[in-house]
Amino acid sequence: MGPLPRTLELFYDVLSPYSWLGFEVLCRYQHVWNVDLQLRPTLIAGIMKDSGNKPPALLPRKAQYMTQDLRSLGQHFQVPIQFPKDFFSVILEKGSLSAMRFLTAVHLECPEMLEKVSRELWMRVWSRAAEKAGMPAEQAQRFLEKISSPKVKNQLKETTETACKYGAFGLPVTVAHVDGQSHMLFGSDRMELLAHLLGEKWMGPVPPAPSARL
Amino acid sequence: MGPLPRTLELFYDVLSPYSWLGFEVLCRYQHVWNVDLQLRPTLIAGIMKDSGNKPPALLPRKAQYMTQDLRSLGQHFQVPIQFPKDFFSVILEKGSLSAMRFLTAVHLECPEMLEKVSRELWMRVWSRVSWVPADLPLGSSAARGLLATHTSPSSVTPFLLFQDEDISESQSILAAAEKAGMPAEQAQRFLEKISSPKVKNQLKETTETACKYGAFGLPVTVAHVDGQSHMLFGSDRMELLAHLLGEKWMGPVPPAPSARL
Repeated sequence: MGPLPRTLELFYDVLSPYSWLGFEVLCRYQHVWNVDLQLRPTLIAGIMKDSGNKPPALLPRKAQYMTQDLRSLGQHFQVPIQFPKDFFSVILEKGSLSAMRFLTAVHLECPEMLEKVSRELWMRVWSRAAEKAGMPAEQAQRFLEKISSPKVKNQLKETTETACKYGAFGLPVTVAHVDGQSHMLFGSDRMELLAHLLGEKWMGPVPPAPSARL
Repeated sequence: MGPLPRTLELFYDVLSPYSWLGFEVLCRYQHVWNVDLQLRPTLIAGIMKDSGNKPPALLPRKAQYMTQDLRSLGQHFQVPIQFPKDFFSVILEKGSLSAMRFLTAVHLECPEMLEKVSRELWMRVWSRVSWVPADLPLGSSAARGLLATHTSPSSVTPFLLFQDEDISESQSILAAAEKAGMPAEQAQRFLEKISSPKVKNQLKETTETACKYGAFGLPVTVAHVDGQSHMLFGSDRMELLAHLLGEKWMGPVPPAPSARL
């Protein structure tokens, strides 16, 4: 029996495009590296409030840069990010509370679906997400009812507080537990450094699938 | 004759630790990729002012994160970044105007020295930082006389001390230039030029150019590829840069060209 897998916690919000990039890279590498990926639905609005930070898109030059950056990274990472011009105003007004409570409910009751449903939420308008990922309509309806339950609300709150305790001021945040220490990494652009910390090999954002390497 | 090298402009300020990381990576890859690296001394304070941005270190949680991030990246990138706990207050008060004007002067008259002098400025710019016991009187000559060290502060309470502002900053700049191999008199001449209109204007223009490219911080790398310019912010877009150039990414410390023959 080989060494125990190292736990990686990924704190993310579907409102955050860079979270999507980080998410996809880690979902690929969980099958390649000796790690155990734990997805942690988090509320980015809560992170911002607690840390005193502001969404970068509020600074015009950053918003301008991000559209181009996400387009280039989307190509390089092979993640189909497509943002309309007024994406930022939509995002900043609409928020993600329902979506992240929904994912919290999925995480509590049906964790094996969390990866797919998260992905679909990023890809689609949120109301049609669960069906697209293959969850039966009735189950989806039950989940929608649960998102205002105290249990789900509290869980999302706790996860968000945990991210804050790790020092988060934005998302995505990856916490790697290695040799009894925890390493907090911010951003989708610390994955090569993560590989270095884990003593694993970095093969770019689109590593060959394990079967391809046998 | 092969294809023409692609121009990479690197806008940087020695006040910016992430600029140092980006700088070292590009200085290594300029000998590996088919590129022509053009170093552009820039004033980060000017970028902040023009863009409306603020130094990230002003947010406590970001400052906390950056110390750890820079330590990890320094190891991974093999760049000897060593930051004292209160580095950020030093940096935010001190500024880099003289240093960047000095590098601008070097760039104008002695560009082949720019890489080395920039590196030495990063290495030395905090030589005024001293570790002293917390109970040593701030104004005492003993405290003032302490030289910079990078030894572990584990046995003393870290305490930041400034020496006399004008003299030591000039001394720092001259020491860096000489360590880079510049003759003392040449370094002194460049130091005198930092208040000339030509140098002041050049630094201003370079900073404006970075702003026109959309900069809100540093480092900024602008890659000119197939008639288009691609602006990349940060020391963490180098793998993406390789992708845009159609070059191979071999991590932040690629094997030297001779090692790969």
